[in-house]
Amino acid sequence: MLVKRVLILAPVFLTVFLLQSYFWVPTYEEQTKGNPERLQEFITASIGDASILNPILSADSASSDIESKVFEGLIDLDKDLEYRGRLAESWDISEQALFYVNPDAAVSGQGRMNARQTARFLHKAMVSENFEGRPLEKTLGNIKTVSVITPEKFRFRTKLPDQEEIVLQVAPPEAIRLELRKVDPELFVNLELLLGQGYFQGFSPEKYIKSESQAVSRIDPAILTEALPPFEHNPVIVFHLRDGVRFHDGHRFDAGDVEFTYQAIVDPENISPRVADFEPVKSVEVVDELTVRIVYKRLYSPALNTWSIGILPEHLLNERALQQEAAARGLDAKEVSLRDSRFNRNPVGCGPFEFSRWESDRFIKLTSFADYWEGEPNYREYVYRIVPDLLTQEMEFYAGTLDSYSVQPHQVERLKQDPRFQSFSGTSFGYTYIGYNMRRKPFTDRRVRRALSLAIDVPEIIQYVLYGQGERITGPFVKQTDFYNQEIEPMEYDPEKALRILDRAGWKKNRQGWLEKDGRILSFTLITNSGNEIRKSILAIVQDFWKRIGVKVSTDILEWSVFIQERVNKLDFDALILGWNMGIEPDLFQIWHSSQSDPFELNFVGFEHKEADELIIRIRQEYNKSRQVDYCRRLHEIIAFEQPYTFLFVQKWTALLDKRIVILEVDEKGEVVYKKITPTKTGNYSYYFNKWVKLPKAPEFATD
Amino acid sequence: MIGFIGRNIFQKVITLFFVSVVSFLIIHLAPGKPSQIDPMNPKFTPEVMERFQKEFHLDEPLHRQYILFYKDLLSGTTVSWKDNQPVLAKIWDRFLNSLPLFIVGTILTWTISFPLGIRGAISRGGWFDRTTTFLAYVLISIPGFFFAYILIILVVNYLHVPVIGMRTFGSEFSSSVQWFMDHVWHLLLPAVLGASAGVAVLSRYVRNQMLEVEGQDYVRTARAKGLSADQVHYKHALRNAMLPFVTMFGLILPGLIGGSVIIESIFSWPGMGRMAYEAILARDYPVILTVNFISAVLVLAGTFVSDVLYMMVDPRIRL
Repeated sequence: MLVKRVLILAPVFLTVFLLQSYFWVPTYEEQTKGNPERLQEFITASIGDASILNPILSADSASSDIESKVFEGLIDLDKDLEYRGRLAESWDISEQALFYVNPDAAVSGQGRMNARQTARFLHKAMVSENFEGRPLEKTLGNIKTVSVITPEKFRFRTKLPDQEEIVLQVAPPEAIRLELRKVDPELFVNLELLLGQGYFQGFSPEKYIKSESQAVSRIDPAILTEALPPFEHNPVIVFHLRDGVRFHDGHRFDAGDVEFTYQAIVDPENISPRVADFEPVKSVEVVDELTVRIVYKRLYSPALNTWSIGILPEHLLNERALQQEAAARGLDAKEVSLRDSRFNRNPVGCGPFEFSRWESDRFIKLTSFADYWEGEPNYREYVYRIVPDLLTQEMEFYAGTLDSYSVQPHQVERLKQDPRFQSFSGTSFGYTYIGYNMRRKPFTDRRVRRALSLAIDVPEIIQYVLYGQGERITGPFVKQTDFYNQEIEPMEYDPEKALRILDRAGWKKNRQGWLEKDGRILSFTLITNSGNEIRKSILAIVQDFWKRIGVKVSTDILEWSVFIQERVNKLDFDALILGWNMGIEPDLFQIWHSSQSDPFELNFVGFEHKEADELIIRIRQEYNKSRQVDYCRRLHEIIAFEQPYTFLFVQKWTALLDKRIVILEVDEKGEVVYKKITPTKTGNYSYYFNKWVKLPKAPEFATD
Repeated sequence: MIGFIGRNIFQKVITLFFVSVVSFLIIHLAPGKPSQIDPMNPKFTPEVMERFQKEFHLDEPLHRQYILFYKDLLSGTTVSWKDNQPVLAKIWDRFLNSLPLFIVGTILTWTISFPLGIRGAISRGGWFDRTTTFLAYVLISIPGFFFAYILIILVVNYLHVPVIGMRTFGSEFSSSVQWFMDHVWHLLLPAVLGASAGVAVLSRYVRNQMLEVEGQDYVRTARAKGLSADQVHYKHALRNAMLPFVTMFGLILPGLIGGSVIIESIFSWPGMGRMAYEAILARDYPVILTVNFISAVLVLAGTFVSDVLYMMVDPRIRL
């Protein structure tokens, strides 16, 4: 019977055919040990694919992993988190300051002065010895030149509160320009000591402003001051670029590329997510082939960090190049913008690795760049595999087809001791917290917030939820930086004390055991987003801790976008569990300044504190690190005392690496030395990645 | 016949229009706005978000957005919001990756289910029937991801060969046969996993169909005529039992664009399912809507094909 035979034989043949393919597949053994090429490759894995390989357009971590290898910025952070030059060899920071002459102000002993007289007066003060030991001495000594300028007229556009746009014509009066050696945030405060109190405040901009649509006297004075402020700080950064650096295609890197990168970011057509970083820039000028001068609109010290962005090659992305690309692809020139360019999938930079191949959702392959200015990396290839499943990643790592693996918290105990691997761990830059909506009762009362923090046993959460892979944190700065105030003790778990504090605040236990004040039970809703198991567990644990002291908490878990858009952005919550990912610069303006507490802004807990506000502004205006550190520590202290958040923990990460990977260095005698990979102070173990090599056999180190 | 086809196509076009409207509305009703940036990152300001919205025409009224989107789709110029790549090229790429998985999975399902089902029906109540019933329920109840993990761990630990991805990573092959066989091996596990639930369900279905037909008068007549058991089972019974399955052929079509998120993620298979899933998480409307539209077209085409097939194999049916 033919049908019967077919029905039986077809599946049998099919199965046999599929199974026999096993004999053709190379085993792991053949791939890793018997293959010398494999030693030249570093293979790592990521759970997600990159989206767009252009440093000014991407905003996801996979893309930036690749970009950090392909592109190079002007500067970056060294192992102690200090700035170090990359494409820039060195840089100078100075300041240009400007103030408008206030003709109505009477300067003590001088009377009213015009611009020339004021300049002469300043000159005299600079050489006089009357100010020794006073704050003015430093300020005056820092001034390099004083000159009188007549600024050009300009137009100022702004929107009134009723959304109506107005255009102001500004004809500024004569001004004094000061060239400073160093940035001096106190300049104008101290100059007032010389020129008389109220010299700058007394300057009235309305005399110099005209408007076609409205009488100037009816416009809000704040807008006029914005159009023509009495003085300006313009910090200046001059970058001296490294000579002889080349892009991967051999083209020479120069100042034009830096200017181009800046222009590409601020071009509204490109919708760069980095645009906010570069908003404070007033101008970028190419001084000569290897010098760029950047002038800022105002004091903004985090600005330096933004120049770690990868520099784009102008010759491949300028208008002419894009037009050529459009022609080659047979498209209209308008259809190919920087965003649509093929460059974003075939990037060219001047980093240590050259882009070679990208197969979506499979892998991205880079090869070492022989002309890299710091010397070619030891690895021939860098391979970034996309393996979306963690268990699969783990299996591949054991088998030797991945060189690194990020350990899950519950595996740390087991794998850290494993003699087959070398392991590294450190604390991450983000923290998890419980935030209280300080606009709502009972969170308006600091005592309640502090009591709630005291009632949570954070070490227990770290032990059971994170398997011990976390550290306590007391404030908003990155724990490894100097900005973090190590002197502040975390709040010990003390439910008795919490009850005493609440008692003093008027909350007494009622008959059912709940805390009550003025007939109102202490109850609220604690929310978090779904999809994060850690936060979900904390939600339940904290609810229980608070229940024990008589606080009635209900909980809710919401889908991420609902959570953000309906609750957080609209400020519709009592308390929430969330985390921040921090950069290392200490600018806290968006999260903690009281001006940022409207809907859709990031100070959604509504933290308001006068001294904190001042400190936040000072921190972002201060260019001197040790003073910045002082301000930060004080700010940390205030925030820790006020407890707008219950700061919970920073997570620890652990990474495993094949034991055969070591650092190769050449000593003075020209001999090759192998060193064990050691993490930097901040826990970054791949800091010396370009010097890594993989040996056929794990070496023995004396210190082992 | 031609009248039927004409009428049918006309109806399907109307349905397709409604599907496009409804899927467009549903996706815009879902909370969460598309963006290439993270709203919780303090570095990204609302102005940037606003500019994105404008770029994507999200500030326009819904009906305008609808027209703009489908105009782009039909002229083939839609681009993904995530990486500015043309959507159709992206889908085609993934489709080619998912296709072998789908083909092997389907062939496995169909070739294995039939003999199992038929044998089960013939030896109803016997040990074979009971074992396959039991196994079928085991396969139906075991979660796919769990089964996948067990298979991977077994293969990696005992056979020491790679199983994930579409081919052995980083290996160069000397011959094209070896290259081909390597592909086949990497297809095997995900295809088996994909087929396992299918085999379980389909073999049950075949068994029930066979049993029903075996009880019919004409089968009894055939037996009474003195035909051999094989003749009765495979010629008289099987043919009639096959009828409902002909219609199922058409319904396989939409599976072409489905793909399994879980299996593709576990095996790092860059297929359709994963792409669609990631697009949903990122609210990448162009990709979601295009996949949706294509699968709607395939569903409608599938029902059309099965109508026509049914008409051809069963002369009693006149539509």
